[in-house]
Amino acid sequence: MKKYLGNFALLCTVSLLAMPVQAQEVKELHVMHSGGEYGDALHKCVEEQLLKEAGIKVVAETPGGFAKMQAQATSGVITNATTDGSTGDLYRLIAADLLEPIDWAKLNPQPMFDEAKHEYGFGAQYYSTIMAWRSDVPAPRNFVDFFDTEKFAGRRVLPDYPEFVLAFAAMGDGMTPEEVSKGLDLDRAFKTLERVKDDTIWWQSGAQPAQLLKDQEAQYAIAWSGRVADQEGVSYSFNQGMLDISWWMVAKGISDEQRDMLYRWIQAQSVPENQKCLVEVIPYPGASPDLEKMVPEDLAKTFPTYSENKKVQWLINGKWWHDNAAEVERRWNEFKLLQ
Amino acid sequence: MTLPGSYESGPVASQTVAAAHDVAAEATAVPARRRASLRQWELFFLLLPMLLLIVLIFDLPILNAAYWSISDPKTGALTLGHFRDFLDSTAYLRIIWRTFFLSLEVTAATILLGYPLAYWATKLPPRWRIVVLGLVVTTFWVSILVRTYAWIVILGSAGLINRLLMWAGVVSRPIEFLYNEFGILVGMTNVLLPFLVLPLFAAMMRVDMRLLQVAETLGASRFRIFWQVFFPLTLPTLAASAILVFILSLGFYITPAVLGGGRVPLVANMMDLLINRFARWETAAVVSVVLMVVTLSLYAVYQWLREKNA
Repeated sequence: MKKYLGNFALLCTVSLLAMPVQAQEVKELHVMHSGGEYGDALHKCVEEQLLKEAGIKVVAETPGGFAKMQAQATSGVITNATTDGSTGDLYRLIAADLLEPIDWAKLNPQPMFDEAKHEYGFGAQYYSTIMAWRSDVPAPRNFVDFFDTEKFAGRRVLPDYPEFVLAFAAMGDGMTPEEVSKGLDLDRAFKTLERVKDDTIWWQSGAQPAQLLKDQEAQYAIAWSGRVADQEGVSYSFNQGMLDISWWMVAKGISDEQRDMLYRWIQAQSVPENQKCLVEVIPYPGASPDLEKMVPEDLAKTFPTYSENKKVQWLINGKWWHDNAAEVERRWNEFKLLQ
Repeated sequence: MTLPGSYESGPVASQTVAAAHDVAAEATAVPARRRASLRQWELFFLLLPMLLLIVLIFDLPILNAAYWSISDPKTGALTLGHFRDFLDSTAYLRIIWRTFFLSLEVTAATILLGYPLAYWATKLPPRWRIVVLGLVVTTFWVSILVRTYAWIVILGSAGLINRLLMWAGVVSRPIEFLYNEFGILVGMTNVLLPFLVLPLFAAMMRVDMRLLQVAETLGASRFRIFWQVFFPLTLPTLAASAILVFILSLGFYITPAVLGGGRVPLVANMMDLLINRFARWETAAVVSVVLMVVTLSLYAVYQWLREKNA
């Protein structure tokens, strides 16, 4: 009996001693992203596997974005290796000199669309900003209709983000998608917003527009495609929608060790099977050309990149947004804060 | 019980300990004083962790933020430029003013609803009192976000009240309760009501009922008893809770964002925009400094008034 006890004690001691060693083998990769369902999806489809195979534990901070990247650069301690962000964010971060270029040869991703390979960004997902409406009200065909509050009566839910609403507002005043994808006339955009602002609710969180439509608080909405697809009682159209890419951008000044881990994590996201897993949770497809064939037709039809959808949309002009950021900020502040 | 430096007070259990100290104190007065100063050191060391915590994670960051408001982010040189930018734009001052005004409205609404509620609760039989207070406290258990969204179900265009009014034929189109200052007022009052009701209820229970009886035997009307005897006795608590409600209202973020429909920006929403969206921390620091100075000034006025009346 004594012997068993002794053995048991020995076993305990050994396992206790072994624990810190094991803990050292697991390395942590710190990232920032918008979290929520997307964070869960990343965990399930990419990160569990990474922990098992490479001992990399991914720790996410939510949300990320320009201000946080700037804050950690100012503090001199680069805690998070990457953030997600729109094309506008990408240009803003490049201009502020907060990113390091991506070493595409080292990253060596699986095949992906060319437009999703940027010098400073890995295109992780396509998403669209589109019009949606309650199925019991007349359907608008374009954004002139959408902003016509007389023929299409009812409240609007609009994004509380200049980047996601101004181009549509300019189209509401008659600009064409070709024109706005080159750059927009801010006067015309704000003219529309001034006209409709008394019928408008502004949303900040992506889940709000669909909920407000369902609650009959509003009849028409501009929303992110993944949030309105597959919602009962809500119709939507990709027509004149704005296609954008969500990028992974690498913080300037990270260690080589962090970069190695980060590249493994990003590389895993270029694998079509992993993208299929991700898209089953949240319908924003990755940039793999093989993805569309791997999922059921019904799901593929909700993708912003589905050929029928892609051809009626336009790609956001990130450079224009960056070049005019100060002016947009000033006008937006004036409009929003002085109402 | 008046032992020099004694920090035991109140609880019955400590009374015997204090009594023992009393005896000791009578026997030798001088060592007791030494012990008292020792106690003060002990107290100091007991408070030290909290003091450090507050200085390190609260006071220093606030000073740091105040420093940002007067320094150039690139060179670190002192400048008043951020304050000039702040004054040049009419938006900031306007939003600060609107926030103060709305907070005053919320405080007034909380007092008008909370005072009678607390008063009524004290008049109830003890069992019902627990039920009423329980209902007030339960609102603390529900997340502020859920509570805020719940108002959409009640006050929204297709909400309970509008449906009822339309069904009864009172109105033909839904009334816009939400997405304006009224909606924010309702939501914030709802959230802040317990902060006023609970302390007031406690203060009202402590009012010596014999004073009211004396007034009654002297022939005062019930109206006069309330306003001349009861109300002044609860006024200090009412004022303190009202100040608390007012200061809490200044920082509300979720309620204005949801029930205001993004149409009524308040200080906290503006700060979010400045910090998280535009990364203009210097301007945000200026706004915080202005807000803090104004709030502290108001608080100073309140203290001054109180001391003058006392």
